[in-house]
Amino acid sequence: MKVDEFEFFLEKDWSDGFPVVTPTEERVQWMLTGTRRNSDEVVGNIPPAGELATVRTVAIHALMAGCKPEYLPVVLGGISLMLREELNLGGVQCTMHGVAPLMIVNGPYADKIGLRGGNGCFGPGFRANATIGRAIRLMLMNLGGGLAGIASATVFASPIRYTACLTEHVAQSPWESLAASRGHAPGANVITCAMVESPRLHFDDVSTEPERLLTGIGDAMTAPGSWNMWFNSDMVVAMSPQHAKLCAGSGMTRAKAVERLVDLAVRKQGQLRRGGNWRPERARAMGIDPDDDESLIRAVKDPQRLHLIVAGGLGPVTAVCHGWNESSHFVHGTYEV
Amino acid sequence: MARDLPFIDPTAGRSRSRIALAPRPIDLAGKVVGMIDNTKEQADVILKTVAEVLESRYGVARVIIHRKEHYSKLAPHAMIDELAKEVQVAVAALGG
Repeated sequence: MKVDEFEFFLEKDWSDGFPVVTPTEERVQWMLTGTRRNSDEVVGNIPPAGELATVRTVAIHALMAGCKPEYLPVVLGGISLMLREELNLGGVQCTMHGVAPLMIVNGPYADKIGLRGGNGCFGPGFRANATIGRAIRLMLMNLGGGLAGIASATVFASPIRYTACLTEHVAQSPWESLAASRGHAPGANVITCAMVESPRLHFDDVSTEPERLLTGIGDAMTAPGSWNMWFNSDMVVAMSPQHAKLCAGSGMTRAKAVERLVDLAVRKQGQLRRGGNWRPERARAMGIDPDDDESLIRAVKDPQRLHLIVAGGLGPVTAVCHGWNESSHFVHGTYEV
Repeated sequence: MARDLPFIDPTAGRSRSRIALAPRPIDLAGKVVGMIDNTKEQADVILKTVAEVLESRYGVARVIIHRKEHYSKLAPHAMIDELAKEVQVAVAALGG
């Protein structure tokens, strides 16, 4: 009987539930033209199952996900970065939470391959964004065993686990890129990766000055039930160009906007203990008296861990992605193109 | 398997070795029991209480509790090896 390869892959749990491009040897060789690296070169073991990723296995998954060969360097760079110990990929693969490693890709190569930073950049509809993030996910499943009901105890997962890759809207940004703000050269190709939830959209078509705008965004960064309130973890805030320009137009630098958001993303303990994940032990661990309702709890404990980017299209919206817990620390670095 | 098919098994190379489960004990009398505290809040309280009950009601000789660095991190191999040497029964215990 003739095997239908689409059905075969779906029945094998070798996909995310969508059909994959069938990895034939010919197609894998085509994908490998996207890198100068040797196909046998070891990339690392994907936790928790610990299966080996080589340049060739990364290429197989990039192909299955629908990548073009020129996307392969970003997939290779991304998965290598995610294996750094401080990101704790193994923990995220197993957690009850639903966060995913969001890749923020800066530099000229992102633009060259058509990564989207403008309207609709969280997807769907853009091949580079959709398939680079999907390639990562397929590896986390096929090589890492991060499957719900097997290694993953995720309660809901989330749509951001299908793909999580974007760039900044450089042409419309009033500020230097996220990578440049961390000291990378303006022409460097850099990936920043942090474990975050799907974006929550914050609309503000009213504010005409930064303080009101940032007060509202700061509130969206706080919530009972968010782990950011109780742990020193990461958060991504993607301002639309319109919102970023409102700040920059008042002379606010990126660093100043981050500083102000850190101060405004705060709630009184009394509000947080009415619901969610408040516990006296968690307050004490932060050096806060659990009985003091007036104590202020910041969503961002370390300004370096607030990843403020400018992305999205025209319109008065900011996307806020809450983070995971303190066992994961964001990573960033250049990748080879 | 995919070897006979005109396409590549993306998981090829996966180690197929399986480890047989250790025989389950009939009872716990006289056994040394190991537990891993995952560091979640009150895990230590819960596990200590369970340990007391295992000793008083089930005749467990001793309960050894190891504490992980963080609940979201894997237990280090050294900790698992040490437990394997010390105990006859181990429980992957959780708190929180």
